[in-house]
Amino acid sequence: MNAATDRAAMSHGHRPDPVITEIVRNGLIAVTEEMKTNLMRTAYNMIIYEALDFTVGIFDAQGNTASIGLGLPMFIRGMSDTVKAKIAHYGVKNLEPGDVLLTNDAYITGSHLYHMTFTVPIFDDGELVAFSCCMAHWPDVGGTLDGATTDIYSEGLQMPIVKIYRRGEPNEELIAIIKANVRLPERAMGDFRAQVAAVKTGERRFLEMIQKYGRDAVLGGIEAIMNHSEAATRARVREIPDGIYEAESFMDDDGVNIGQRVPIRVRVEVSGDRMKVDLTDVSKQVAGFYNSGETAGRSCCQVAFKCLTSALDLPINDGQFRALDIVLPPGRVVSAQKPAAMRMWMTYPMTVIDTIFKALAPAIPEHIIAGHHADLVVGRVNGRRPQDDSFYIYLGGLIGGGWGAKHDSDGRNATIALNDGDTHNGPTEQVEAKYPLLVERYALRPDSGGPGRYRGGLGTEQIVQARHNIRFNSQMDRVVCKPWGLFGGLAGYGNSVAIHRFAAATEQRFPNGKALNQVLKSGDAYILRSGGGGGFGSPLDRELAAIARDVYCGYVTKGAAEKYYGVVFVPETNEIDIAASESLRAQMRTQGLPHDEPIAEPAVPQPVPHDHAHHEVHEQLTDEERLVLAMSCRCCS
Amino acid sequence: VGGTFTDVAAFNETTGELQLGKTLTTPARLVDGIASGVAKAGAGFSAATLFLHGTTVAINTLLERTGARCALLTTEGFRDIYEIGGVNRPESYNLFFKRHEPLITRDLRYEVRERVDAQGKVIIGFDEDEVRAVVADAVRQGVQAIAILFLHSYANPRHERRVKEIIEEAYPDLFVTASHELSQEYREFERTSTAAANAYVGPRVRRYLVEMRDRLGAAGFAGDFLIVQSTGGLFDVDEAQRACVRMLESGPAAGVIATKALCDGIGLRNAIAFDMGGTTAKAGVIHDGDVLMTGSTMIGGYATGLPLQIPMIDIQEVGTGGGSLARIEAGGALRVGPESAGAAPGPVCYGLGGSEPTVTDASLILGRLGVDRFLGGEMRLDLKAARRAMVERIATPLALDPAVAADGILRIAVTKMSHVVRWVTTERGLDAGEFALVAYGGAGPLHAAMVARELRIGKVVIPRAPGHFSAFGMLVADLRRDFVNTWFTPLATASFAELEAKYAEMECRGKAAVERGAGPAGITVTRGADMRYVGQEHAVYVELPAQLFAAHDRDGIKRRFDAVHGTRYGYSAPAEQAEIVSLRSAVTGLLRKPRFERIAQGGAVPPADAHRGSRAVYFAESGGYVETPTYHRPLLSAGNRIAGPALIEEYAATTVVHPGDVLEVDAFGDLVIEIRRS
Repeated sequence: MNAATDRAAMSHGHRPDPVITEIVRNGLIAVTEEMKTNLMRTAYNMIIYEALDFTVGIFDAQGNTASIGLGLPMFIRGMSDTVKAKIAHYGVKNLEPGDVLLTNDAYITGSHLYHMTFTVPIFDDGELVAFSCCMAHWPDVGGTLDGATTDIYSEGLQMPIVKIYRRGEPNEELIAIIKANVRLPERAMGDFRAQVAAVKTGERRFLEMIQKYGRDAVLGGIEAIMNHSEAATRARVREIPDGIYEAESFMDDDGVNIGQRVPIRVRVEVSGDRMKVDLTDVSKQVAGFYNSGETAGRSCCQVAFKCLTSALDLPINDGQFRALDIVLPPGRVVSAQKPAAMRMWMTYPMTVIDTIFKALAPAIPEHIIAGHHADLVVGRVNGRRPQDDSFYIYLGGLIGGGWGAKHDSDGRNATIALNDGDTHNGPTEQVEAKYPLLVERYALRPDSGGPGRYRGGLGTEQIVQARHNIRFNSQMDRVVCKPWGLFGGLAGYGNSVAIHRFAAATEQRFPNGKALNQVLKSGDAYILRSGGGGGFGSPLDRELAAIARDVYCGYVTKGAAEKYYGVVFVPETNEIDIAASESLRAQMRTQGLPHDEPIAEPAVPQPVPHDHAHHEVHEQLTDEERLVLAMSCRCCS
Repeated sequence: VGGTFTDVAAFNETTGELQLGKTLTTPARLVDGIASGVAKAGAGFSAATLFLHGTTVAINTLLERTGARCALLTTEGFRDIYEIGGVNRPESYNLFFKRHEPLITRDLRYEVRERVDAQGKVIIGFDEDEVRAVVADAVRQGVQAIAILFLHSYANPRHERRVKEIIEEAYPDLFVTASHELSQEYREFERTSTAAANAYVGPRVRRYLVEMRDRLGAAGFAGDFLIVQSTGGLFDVDEAQRACVRMLESGPAAGVIATKALCDGIGLRNAIAFDMGGTTAKAGVIHDGDVLMTGSTMIGGYATGLPLQIPMIDIQEVGTGGGSLARIEAGGALRVGPESAGAAPGPVCYGLGGSEPTVTDASLILGRLGVDRFLGGEMRLDLKAARRAMVERIATPLALDPAVAADGILRIAVTKMSHVVRWVTTERGLDAGEFALVAYGGAGPLHAAMVARELRIGKVVIPRAPGHFSAFGMLVADLRRDFVNTWFTPLATASFAELEAKYAEMECRGKAAVERGAGPAGITVTRGADMRYVGQEHAVYVELPAQLFAAHDRDGIKRRFDAVHGTRYGYSAPAEQAEIVSLRSAVTGLLRKPRFERIAQGGAVPPADAHRGSRAVYFAESGGYVETPTYHRPLLSAGNRIAGPALIEEYAATTVVHPGDVLEVDAFGDLVIEIRRS
């Protein structure tokens, strides 16, 4: 018997029943699954329903995670820390049945103000036994719509920890404050109702479990689940060679200090069955809106740890992290303090996690992956619908990008970045029905996957035409610091954003990925491009048959196959000349080729065309003529 | 037709008599297998007027990836949407996650310059010569089938339709499928996947059905040949050859249809159809006399499956069955399934090389299965080996008594299954406790009472021949056509004339389809709509009686939507505006069906010869093993009452009656168990 189960035995005076424990485990998973489905299907906004930007969970009476449903991985700590803050704020004795606690405090959740977090204390027979909690991303919480923010006050309504329901009674005054501060109050109230329904579902189902199996059995079962998780993760950490592992990368800039790189340095120490992640040398908090709170910094470490030690173990619970120590002083970009701007909180942590994998690559090459595109690749649009002048906000993008290659296989194409999990893109047919936009193209980017023995996954490209005037913002990163390869694999393409003005000869590019406060007229289009994944191993070792297939399917162009993979084609065909290829590859090896280009050269800033190139033509066309002409211009570029 | 056995049921319309037969499926010649099954059932082809067929040929082709080489023709700029899919990563922490594998590789996905917008307006017309050139190239690449997906074809199918014509003119032998023929619902990835799946299985299914029809003809059959769809409804073989994906889940669907017929027969309005086999348990719902449907599913599981967007019976599945393995995982946790011993090596007690204890082994150790009663005694079970495996692998490491361990394994399996049963009800806002549980499949009767007690269900029904129940479902199915048409419209301004026209168009096509051939005894039409509050993303299905449209009763429609939303999600917002997302219509052509055969009436006490001795059976609620009488089901009479503990054995199933529960045999021979409220 191991230490973990011993502890449970001591605390309860008897051994936990393995059968009840397993029944409780399945029960907890079912409860959180039901909360999740309920929320998704009743939510008013696409960010919840399609992007699944939410997390639901059950927490023990101290606020530790007992089970969280798969939602936003980067929010793995967000709710537990918020529940704990709420307990500390009121004190257990001041919580009552029927209370619903709310906050969106960015420094508590570690994220941005969009994350409204509802919590219900669960009482059994008058005693507090657990919490049910739900965070979901609202489409708007006030604040400035366009451009960059530099403090929290410009990012919208801040709701400190409050009882939005007190003993079952809603606090209408607080609700009125919320409604007065958001741009789409009806939508917000729809999401509000959905979230309250979700936490109530969690409460009801948890109490049913207690009724059926008894309080001690359920609470003891939760503890036993945590102990099992702890034991399992410790066993896996023990398999990682002891040592100190370090790595470094950087973010392109913070959107304010243009072109100034933001360093990300991590240090991982493995010793026996413990792992320590030290983020002391991650950049100090920044002027722009890429900061996140300590909760997010700790989430980085836990997400990386879970990926490496208990990827498929359910439910997600705090026992899985007992073998992990985290060093994170305050004031870092992932432990920022008020009034740091937080709106794009989710961008940097993804790179922090990738850098942790990079650090551990020499220790466990068969368990890590090369760098991925590490950005949600989002375009934010707002405008008024021409038919009724109604205001709308559209969160476009989430187009998926390339993932890093592994020791035994290629990286995956077109998949959502690490911050998100079961996030779906929005169907084009839905977008075009709801908003005055036209998606001209949504496709894979050939050659975007980093060359390697195993190739990085491909990024994607989405071109969206405005059918009337819109405002557009995109705040990407990892344009300059491209997804890196490992063990001789090359970097993939970085992310990028561009605007193509109606009938213009060239695209307007944004070398740092920040396209802020751009006005698009009808016929103009914005273009989102997600990066590829890094390659794994030298591309000269890639099997020729695999390259032939890549070229045949158009994942890799012939030019790239020649340059990076050392492939020679039989002239005028797609057929590989094997002998010639072998000799070219041998020659390239001696020359140290191919070259890796992990950092994009800063593009030469272009003059921004303030007016439309063909302004007069533009005005004379009918809407339809303009639309077709605009598409024709772009499709041949 | 199943993988191993072909079930045959024959119904004599004149006498109302039903005959059942079972035969080995002969893979090489499926039709031979069926012919011999028909002979065993004592029926002949020449006298038959109707041949109903449910087949796994489509689903197997898809799951085994043995379909045709296909091409996809799609709107310019969108050849990759099939591969990009939803971009989601359900296994969020798994760096080695997998994604869906398209059935059509990228080199065979062609773009055509054309565009229709969300309102159905043609923005860019297409060039017929470009289409011809593209198709010629695909044919050179050796494709046997082509799927067509153009954006917004649900709003305006003209381009898809014309391109299909062009292809068929040039290549009459190609299997061509246009997405709008299968789904007139928005969501381009799901529609692409549906059309691609149809093209992929099409050539093989068509060959199979044509061969079957020819052989039936050669055997003297001159009646109608109908196929079971995933809706549980029938369609004729000509249509089945074009819309092959509609028959993918016909087997599970037939079981639910059988449940509905049973409910109609014995007057149950609310029931859960619970089908437990060797590797999975499945649940469907009969609510207020209707089978609950869904508009889409994932073939091959959520994480890596291919979406299919067509109406079908809503059946949820969990990887728990008789063959589910019990294991101790890292950290010392006890798990049951989803890994399964399958048919080979099978449970330890089969003696075919299985070494890890399964749910079936647990049932044997607890005495619920008889060592010498399995398959009517044809297969002797190895209790010793089962117990040894249980002791070594589970009981000793966890310091449990072997019987307690076996009982624990069943309880874990039962709670897992109860979650999926509960799921099909709670996802609709219904309470499982108000339903009866109709249990079938090889393992259903063995565990039904435990599942019911877990869900506070008061009544369990075990139909006759629970192993044949799905085959029987075909005979009680009706002709059916389902239509969906996406039409984003605010309810407040929706034109009733337009609504009527859209429904009438669907109903007209539906009636024409079900009136062909068999000639139904009557036709019924149901209308409904997927609706949501303005601003919401997800829509719920609301059934809408025709009178609402006749009376132009906008408020009535709104009230029904509010009520459904309230039931399903716990709240409604009557003050908020609603909108229509899609219109749905189902047209049913009623067929004559077998009557449920009554069995001989007896008294409360079972006949003495039905009693087949007793054995020790473990019941946790009794604190251990208790001597439990066993009964031979075929010898029970209607009206017999048996108080638990008891076991009712028949050829391929054993029904467990727990202590405190009471079983009564109804007039049709069903076992009806009243579950004691604990």
